[in-house]
Parts: sequence; C-alpha cells; structure tokens
Amino acid sequence: MSSDEVQLVMPADPEFLRLARVTAMGLASRLSFTIDEIDDLRIAIDELVFGLIGTKGREGSVCMTYRLEPEGLEVRGTGEFLDTGTSPGLSELSELILDAVADEHELAVDDGGPRFRMLKRRAG
Amino acid sequence: MFTAFAQSRDERLRAELIEAHLGLAEYLARRFANRGEPLDDLVQVASMGLVKAVDRFEPERGLEFSTYATHTVVGELKRHFRDKGWAVRVPRRMQELHLRLSGLVSGLNQDLGRAPTVAEIAQAAGVSEEEVLEALEAGNAYRFASIDAPSPGSEDGGTLASTLGSEDESMIDVEHRVALSPLIAKLPERQQRILHYRFVEGLTQSEIAERLGISQMHVSRLLARSLAELRRAAEADGG
Repeated sequence: MSSDEVQLVMPADPEFLRLARVTAMGLASRLSFTIDEIDDLRIAIDELVFGLIGTKGREGSVCMTYRLEPEGLEVRGTGEFLDTGTSPGLSELSELILDAVADEHELAVDDGGPRFRMLKRRAG
Repeated sequence: MFTAFAQSRDERLRAELIEAHLGLAEYLARRFANRGEPLDDLVQVASMGLVKAVDRFEPERGLEFSTYATHTVVGELKRHFRDKGWAVRVPRRMQELHLRLSGLVSGLNQDLGRAPTVAEIAQAAGVSEEEVLEALEAGNAYRFASIDAPSPGSEDGGTLASTLGSEDESMIDVEHRVALSPLIAKLPERQQRILHYRFVEGLTQSEIAERLGISQMHVSRLLARSLAELRRAAEADGG
C-alpha cells in the first residue's frame, strides 16, 4: 500500500456505510473538494456499496480502498461474502445517478469477485 | 377558576383544570397525526404542553385560556417533530452544528460564487474540519420533517409549505419523470424536482438550492432521503 492509500475493511452491512462515506469525505476535504463534490462522493459510495451488498447487506465484509490521486479521489470496493446471496448490481437509475456524480465508475459481479471502482476528479 | 388557581396553586384545582382541557390537547394532537408519529406519543406531548399552559397561564392578562393553551400545546408538538426529525443516534451538538452550518454555507456560496470547501466552512464557523465533516454527514440521519412543521432552525425561514410555493414553475413533463423510474412518481413533488434537476438537468446541489430558495445542505438532505426511499421502494417491489 502506497502512502497515498487508505484502506477500510468493514462488515457488509448498511449500518457501516457511514464509515465508508466519512472516510471518503475526510480524504476529499484534503483535496479541497467543495461540499457539492463531497456530497456527490457520498451518493456515489452509497450506490456502489449497495450495488455490492444490497439493502439488507450480506454476510462478510467489504474492503474499501481510497487512493489520493493528483487529479482526484479513486475509491475501490471489494466484497468478500460468506453467504450464498447475490449482489444486486446497478439498476438503470443507479447508473444514471453515478454518471452524474462520478467521473468514472464500474461495478462487476463475476468470476473476479464482486467489486467496484470509481474516480471523482477535482474541478479546476 | 384560573384566578383561584393562580392565587392558591391548589393541586386539586390544577388537576381539575388539566382534566377539563384534555379534550383540547387531544384535538390538537390529532391535527398533527398521520405524519409518521404515533398518535399516543402526540397526545402525550400535547398533554404535557397543556400542563405547562395551566401552570403558566396568567388570567389577569385577559387572554382566553384556550387561546393560550393552543399556542403552548402546538409549540410543544412542533418542537416534538423538529426533535424527532433526527435519527436517535445523532448527538444534539451535531444537530445544532448541522443547522448552523446550513446558513453559513449559503452565505459562503454567495461570497465565493461557488460551493465552499470544508476548510472554508470550518474557518467561517470557527470549528475543526472534522466537526464540519461530522455535521455534514449528520444530514444523512435526518428524517424528513412533516410539511407543516417549522423548517429546522432558521436556515430557510418559513415553513416547508411556503418554501414549496416559492419555487419557479418549470414543469417537469410526466414522461421524463417516469423514465427515470416509476417509483419516483410516488415521491413528494419537491423531491421529484430535485432528482430531475440533479440527475437529468445536471445542476449542482448549490444551483438547485438557489433555484428553490433553500440551503445547499437542505438539498443534500432531501436528495439523500429521496435516494434512500427509492432504494427501499425498489426492494419492496422486488426489483
């Protein structure tokens, strides 16, 4: 892990989403994101994590990795699930939301394991 | 009877006065029903307001007790809704900071001509950046206030109902709304508008705030609330 990377491993439970958001917000403020951009980040993280764990959560954990890049903040999430449930993925509405709030995003639920990545660039 | 009570502070008289006006308390409680709070709780709050009114009423001022009591009881009920607007876990200090920041953010937006950064907010508020972040996040925990409850603090001025009335009249055509998701049509009008402005028209939250005449942080709460409701509704629908 490089010095510009922060990792958070949390239960795959919506109760803990707050931690994922607050961590992103803390890092974004270091990059002088505006509060509009910080709110976008919060929304993006919600959509992506829920895409992995669903509204009821899963048994297991999600590993969040935050990278401070010169152009902005990259957030990755990887699910390690112990149950036999499925990740809901992203709905059409989620895609629309993420297009608006993130510069890049993708979520995959395949052989590589459930995971997502997003990038939010700083303005200017 | 009030004059007698005012002089004697007799407990039995007090009980009689309260008893005699419990109907008023219940009537007022019922007027605030169907806003997500159980009637029993509201009657409880209203009754406590009535007791307060009985204790504080000064008959020599020439006011009708029912007028005075109504004012007191409604005040208690509205405060109940304002307090209940937050999920239990948010510390009061954070609620207050959240509300205080709202006005500050609007001011900074105007001064800077853009949305402020966390550092700028912290400096203006005289608090740490950590506290600002916590207070911003606290907005996610805010449950939507009822339409006639007073807007939290003085951040927006006036009630939510009057805020709605001051929006511009740009109509969002039905097709557009439904295209996003049929579930959106079930949300309150203003939340639908905000979703449309943000995700179809691509306005920033600050721009939406300006258009609706409310604070950016209020838009943030409404947006977070809308998305959470849509998520719940989608799950209930099984899709």
